Amino acid sequence: MRSVLFAQVRAHVARLLASTLAVVIAVGFVVATLVLNETARSTVLNAVGAQYVGAAAVVTSDDGSSLADDADAVAGLSSVAAVAPSFETSIQAAVPGRTGSQYLFVGTVADDPALRWQRVSDGALPDRPGEVAVSDRARAAVGDVLTVTTYDAAGDESTSEVTVTGIVDLSGDPEAGLYGRAFVTPEQAREWGAADPLELRVAAAPGFSDEQVRTDTAAALGDRPVEVRTGSERAADAAAAMMGNTTALAAVLLVFGTVAVLVAGLVIANTFAVLLAQRTRELALLRCVGATARQVRRSVLGEAVVTGLASSTIGVAAGIGLAAAVSALAGGGESPIPLTGLSIPWYAPVAGVLVGTLVTLLAALAPARAATRVAPLAALRPVDPAPLRSRPGVLRLVLGLLLLLPGVGLMALGVAMGQVLIALPGGVLSFLGIVLLAQRAVPPVVAAAGRLAGRFGGVPAQLAAGNATRNPRRTAATATALLIGVTLTSAFVVGAASTRATAQAGLAAEFPTDIVVSSFDGALPASLLATLEDLDGVDRGAAVISADVTGPDGQPTWTFGVDAAATEPVLRSTEELALPVPGQALLPEWLAETWAVRDGDPVALGAPGQQRTFTALVVDSGQPLMLTADDLRAVAPETGLGELWLRLTDGEPDGQVGAVDRITDVVAEIDPAAQVTGLVTLRDQIDEVLDLLLLVVTGLLGIAVLIALIGVGNTLALSVVERRQENGLLRALGLTRGQLRGLLAWEAVLVAGVAAVLGVLVGGAYGLIGAASVLGEIGEIVLSVPWLQVAVIVAVATVAGLLASVLPARRAARTSPVSAIAG
Amino acid sequence: MSVPVMTVPGEPPAPLSTAAVRATGLRKTYGSGETAVHALAGVDVAFAAGEFTAIMGPSGSGKSTLMHCLAGLDTATAGEVWLGGTDLTRLRDDELTKLRRQRIGFVFQSFNLLPVLDARDNIVLPMQLAGLRPDTAWMDSVVARLGLRERLGHRPHELSGGQQQRVAIARALLPRPDVVFADEPTGNLDSRSGAEVLGLLRSSVKETGQTVVMVTHDPVAAAYADRVVLLADGLLAGELSDPTAESVLDALRGLGA
Ligand SMILES: Nc1ncnc2c1ncn2[C@@H]1O[C@H](COP(=O)(O)OP(=O)(O)OP(=O)(O)O)[C@@H](O)[C@H]1O
Ligand SMILES: [Mg+2]
Repeated sequence: MRSVLFAQVRAHVARLLASTLAVVIAVGFVVATLVLNETARSTVLNAVGAQYVGAAAVVTSDDGSSLADDADAVAGLSSVAAVAPSFETSIQAAVPGRTGSQYLFVGTVADDPALRWQRVSDGALPDRPGEVAVSDRARAAVGDVLTVTTYDAAGDESTSEVTVTGIVDLSGDPEAGLYGRAFVTPEQAREWGAADPLELRVAAAPGFSDEQVRTDTAAALGDRPVEVRTGSERAADAAAAMMGNTTALAAVLLVFGTVAVLVAGLVIANTFAVLLAQRTRELALLRCVGATARQVRRSVLGEAVVTGLASSTIGVAAGIGLAAAVSALAGGGESPIPLTGLSIPWYAPVAGVLVGTLVTLLAALAPARAATRVAPLAALRPVDPAPLRSRPGVLRLVLGLLLLLPGVGLMALGVAMGQVLIALPGGVLSFLGIVLLAQRAVPPVVAAAGRLAGRFGGVPAQLAAGNATRNPRRTAATATALLIGVTLTSAFVVGAASTRATAQAGLAAEFPTDIVVSSFDGALPASLLATLEDLDGVDRGAAVISADVTGPDGQPTWTFGVDAAATEPVLRSTEELALPVPGQALLPEWLAETWAVRDGDPVALGAPGQQRTFTALVVDSGQPLMLTADDLRAVAPETGLGELWLRLTDGEPDGQVGAVDRITDVVAEIDPAAQVTGLVTLRDQIDEVLDLLLLVVTGLLGIAVLIALIGVGNTLALSVVERRQENGLLRALGLTRGQLRGLLAWEAVLVAGVAAVLGVLVGGAYGLIGAASVLGEIGEIVLSVPWLQVAVIVAVATVAGLLASVLPARRAARTSPVSAIAG
Repeated sequence: MSVPVMTVPGEPPAPLSTAAVRATGLRKTYGSGETAVHALAGVDVAFAAGEFTAIMGPSGSGKSTLMHCLAGLDTATAGEVWLGGTDLTRLRDDELTKLRRQRIGFVFQSFNLLPVLDARDNIVLPMQLAGLRPDTAWMDSVVARLGLRERLGHRPHELSGGQQQRVAIARALLPRPDVVFADEPTGNLDSRSGAEVLGLLRSSVKETGQTVVMVTHDPVAAAYADRVVLLADGLLAGELSDPTAESVLDALRGLGA
């Protein structure tokens, strides 16, 4: 039988292409997800943990007490070669050629080369005070002299100059783009006011293991309140702290990978069913010449294993390639997505091959069983397709309903409770149910659509409607494959649109202001607002005045006064940020607790003699006590300009980043002590990630739809072969070549169109349900249906179905009328 | 001989000008060089309007090929085929196809009907393809003559072989074509059904002046015709007027079949 098996695989390579592609894509997706996850993990580990990876041990202060004195104790150990205390501070630095200055976070370059973790992309690390290496974000060049302003504990300003000796490459660090970093010698850091070190990095002496160093260090520090970890432990902890949400993303992707595998399984099962139907006679002939049912089954399953193995291997390669491409595309420059290079975990290829082969084998089981039931006699006469009312048909119906109904129930429950973990199994169950029921539901819908088409399309459309419903099983199988792809694509597109609308609304609610300019002392120059509003990219701004107001407890409380009319147009949303009305005081929760005030209570504010009573409104916000500007002036004799809230012109994220830079420059020049917080950048980054995800996943699903369309072409080709005589007869009776092509095109459009429309309906519902249940956990849901994209899906699937008919139609049109008679 | 032999009073062979179909110098060659098969090696033949002609000859003599070329189903290698005033060899595929819808009727040995259509739809199919409405009175009379009235709503697999052939004849007659071609229409039928089918063809010629050309191997079937054209090795090998089963058999023996 083996020779037959290999001959089969070879002979049917073209037909196996559909199932091969399905496996390749599913396996590719799973492998790419695993590889990207691992790559992100190691990227973050190498970036966030870069300073720790090279250290043998890291001593971290538990309680914030200084480790300055412990450094010497550790350095004296025989297993320790060097110790580098970490000094950290921040400075305002002015880069030549740019107005204003920027905040730079300052870290130290270790004295010992073994503990120097910074990679320079240009120049060298600093060796002495007066030298500095900066990250890309600082936008300085080697040789630049920076003017640095620092403030000591008393708030006194001092200025110094440092020369840039090198540019540090921080690529892979998700925070590299958020602010600039500067690296200097420990002496320089102390000069700039760095506090005592809270962390020591320890290098091992030759011949000592990290673990040895850790043990010795821990012993030496005995009862000090410190934690001693090996460098790699410390790095892993730092990465884990940063990666919290990245692993959540990986989990989502893996869930999606599971769905992809499931779908691939169904597509493969369908393809095998079609392939075996095509081969009924062949199999029956094998039985005639003496093959037992077992041998036939073994041959079919063997074929599945060979196909599965071959295509999973290709899938693994494709997945790794895809991951490499995504990493290269998404991880460059200041991207917020932490991807550098490629890390392939050993289990990714193993899982890929296993999953792919198993799924193919499982998918082939049912068709293989059907194949063994082929009677030897079937070789001698054409077999009738099993009628739908047969026992397996009824079983299918019952099973389908048994899956569908509880599935729908679970989804309803999931939506009601806002629990995706309840809705998800409901979705899987009901989808399997739909796939089973599609066998029964699709043919009547195709028939109905066919009657409709017959009105417009003339005889070819009428004949096509008849042909399309002639072999209901095959039509249903073909349509189901497409249905699955279209359902998932539209579910994802609709779900993503809702997710994005909700996320945007949520982000706007959480960060209603694009830019906040604030000062520590509540003394921004009054002219600043007008200057900033004139800047390119700034839409408008609002001034928030501030003052210390005496509270009911007699203590001064930092209070904001806002002019609601001027402020509202600046905000993206007032959902989370309420604005006060006259006579109202907005109390953050902590303040309401301190003052023992509840919602609606009266609160007396102001110095004794000047007191006025306000109605309290307790809000969940990070803002200080808030009154209207007029009310604040009434209760506080002296107010200053505390914050400026700015709204940027809507547009490209790049333009907005430029605007943030311009604002920073101007603010730093006018008031170096002021701080600019650009929440707009954060919003853009989240948007960017969503966009990328949507693109990648839609692309992948799009390929799944294409596979299904190959299936449509497959089925049509099969019909053409089977109906050679019939098509010849039609030609003889007066059907022109064009009409014959039209006949097949109609057939394809009927099947593909019905599948596309049903798929979009079902998928749209799934997308909305999914979004509602996922986002229900988070809060307010904004459902959104991207009608245009949905229409495009239907159009693409239908037109592609039409294209899939081109080759079979050409072949059919070449059939000479004589063949009808020739038999 | 269970089937009575019908003899029709002799008529003079139709002059070329009144021929429904005629071929001149018709050649059909399959393959080329050493392996070339000359299925038709230069045939001149004419079929008069209103005449029932049978084409006979040994297996492989080119009968089907001749019929296909005459009916515009196949292209000749050389020569001309005239249907009335139209030279089929000069038509493009689409023109030929449209011509077949209305001016030529077919009855094949088997697989005559589309399985998805019921008998009525099969009968009107060529006219529908032409975008024409069948003349109801004519359709009724054809259906009645063929005894199909009760069977119009049935699909082909619900009909017997003889009934299927009758549906095919109804379809061929409905557009009142210039000529009906039948390739071994009784080949798959028992003798009673066969006689029925032949009788129907015969009477359509007699009663409505339909031209019929039929290929057959059966001398008894050939005896229903007005004339028998004999073919051997792709060439005309004589013809018989007013054939009887015996005269046909004799003629065939002469060809060595
Ligand atoms: N498509 C083809 N390719 C090559 N040779 C062919 C083809 N069709 C027919 N022939 C050859 O042409 C010759 C005539 O064939 P044709 O079918 O016309 O014979 P026929 O008289 O109808 O025979 P039968 O009585 O067996 O039906 C035969 O030798 C046949 O082998
Ligand atoms: Mg023949």
